[in-house]
Amino acid sequence: MNTIEIENVHKRFGNIHALRGLSLSTRKGEIYGLLGPNGAGKSTLIRTIVGLYTPEEGTVTVLGKQMPDRNVLSQVGYMTQASALYNELTVWQNVAFFAGLMDCNDKSAIAAAIDFVGLSDRRQTPVAQLSGGMRQRLSLATVLVHKPDLILLDEPTVGVDPQLRVQFWQHFRRLAENGVTLLVSSHVMDEAERCDRLGFVRDGRLLAEGSADELRERAGTHNLEEAFLVFAGEAAHEH
Amino acid sequence: MNTKRIGHLARRVVLQVVSDRRTLALILVVPVILLTVAGVLIRVEPGEIRIGVVNEDEGVSLSDSVVLGDRLTSVFTEIGTFEAVQMNRSEADAALDEGEVDAVIYLPPTFTQDVMSTRTLTLNVQFEGSNPMLAERLNSMLERVSGQATNTVASASTGGIALDTNIEATYLHGGPEFDTLDYMAPALIGVFVFLFVFILTSIAFLRERLAGTLERLRATPIRPSEIIVGYMMGFLVFALLQGLITLLFTILVLNVHYTGNLLNVFIVETLLAITSVNLGIFLSTFARNEFQVLQFIPLVVVTQVFLGGVFWEVSAMPDWLQPVAYLMPLTHANIALRDIMLTGATLLDEWQPLLAMLAIIVAVIALSSRTAAQARI
Repeated sequence: MNTIEIENVHKRFGNIHALRGLSLSTRKGEIYGLLGPNGAGKSTLIRTIVGLYTPEEGTVTVLGKQMPDRNVLSQVGYMTQASALYNELTVWQNVAFFAGLMDCNDKSAIAAAIDFVGLSDRRQTPVAQLSGGMRQRLSLATVLVHKPDLILLDEPTVGVDPQLRVQFWQHFRRLAENGVTLLVSSHVMDEAERCDRLGFVRDGRLLAEGSADELRERAGTHNLEEAFLVFAGEAAHEH
Repeated sequence: MNTKRIGHLARRVVLQVVSDRRTLALILVVPVILLTVAGVLIRVEPGEIRIGVVNEDEGVSLSDSVVLGDRLTSVFTEIGTFEAVQMNRSEADAALDEGEVDAVIYLPPTFTQDVMSTRTLTLNVQFEGSNPMLAERLNSMLERVSGQATNTVASASTGGIALDTNIEATYLHGGPEFDTLDYMAPALIGVFVFLFVFILTSIAFLRERLAGTLERLRATPIRPSEIIVGYMMGFLVFALLQGLITLLFTILVLNVHYTGNLLNVFIVETLLAITSVNLGIFLSTFARNEFQVLQFIPLVVVTQVFLGGVFWEVSAMPDWLQPVAYLMPLTHANIALRDIMLTGATLLDEWQPLLAMLAIIVAVIALSSRTAAQARI
């Protein structure tokens, strides 16, 4: 069973046609990279997957359930672009709050999530006193604390220093090895190499899909950036 | 000093305010609205005072039969300073209890006899008393009127010799020690709960939206209605805590008198806090930052303080303004809180204001749930 199954999804905001018949699916335990420039529709797609937006056409199925469906969200983790945390609360309180919403009240799970992102010595620190990188790590902890089967990450490494970025991708790989499916959006092409499969997105359409090697081969280019431009050029001809 | 640079900066500040239409409206329009309301209210003539006159005077027989009570009654009914209605004792008791009359003057069977033997005109007045301002005004009014009445009575009974007048006042509710603060305190307790819960909720919910945590919440199994109820429960803790502190302070430190059941006070405060939480959530959608939330305070809170019967009685307001006042939750809360604290009314006695509050709660919950489900993200 595919963890995410998107078929011919359309989403409009007034005059803006943000998703134009996009189809895509992810397999269990893979890291799927959603690549495309700003404004390509990556965030809209992720919000549609979690059910924040209802598409006008097409269907979104998550873990076998057609979205929007609140109940399936307890098996999903969603990390927004900006770290969404409660500044007045401590590290522990933030993780415990989001865990509680997902029906996970296990203290050892909370401790494990905080430990996973390396914030064990900051448990009682209020978020307001954390550095930007720590907040980003805490944000990840709040997303994975309830051991979801699917994690959606909207540009998780924006504004993250190179060292932490490497750490993040190690975390992602560890989660995937445990059977978690990850959908990661990015506009940084060098991160794409770390994904199992990639989807190139532009103007609300999926331009091409496959592993980094496959995409380079099909485009006949040496790097992904050029491959993206080749596919974008082909798409421009078609439409 | 570079006046040119200062000029540029001043121009930019003006432009910033002008381009924010609502801030402009707040600065220019809202004070006018508030002053208009205040102006209307301050010039409002006090509502007509109604008194009941129970005349049981049997009079005395001199050369003629002299019944001073009859003369006094006609003086009261013709004087025009207040509306006097003649009634019997049981009617008067009922009218006073229902609040249909503000005071009752009793003229006992021995009234004429007493005046003649003591040469003092003694008026037994029972005040309804829950509005001390009204009772005080009525008292001074009666003093003046009885002066006039004395002249009429004196010519008949004593051949023109002056009589002393003496008003013996009793109170159905409260008493002469009830002052304006006693009248204001129950309403102010309501105002504080409403104001602080409103500020807390609207800013908290705004932050929820701005920090992106609302988006996170909506990507979890929690329902919008659960978010609303969660907020209500959370802020109710503070509302009731605040209610307890203000109540204890007014009773123990300010020595405000009360006769009602304090549990009933808390029930009314709970309803008010629920209204306030939902109104705060709803209005927070229309604000983009904390400053814009504060702009709602004059509009939402101050108008309610003016129109909600805190200072001026709603029944004394002009007819066109009264429906506006009755749309406001604070108006109904004030009626209930005052009745409970000053006259010891039960919740059953206050079913009308409580029902009105419940209706307002249903309306604001409908608005706030829409907000929680559809807020911009």
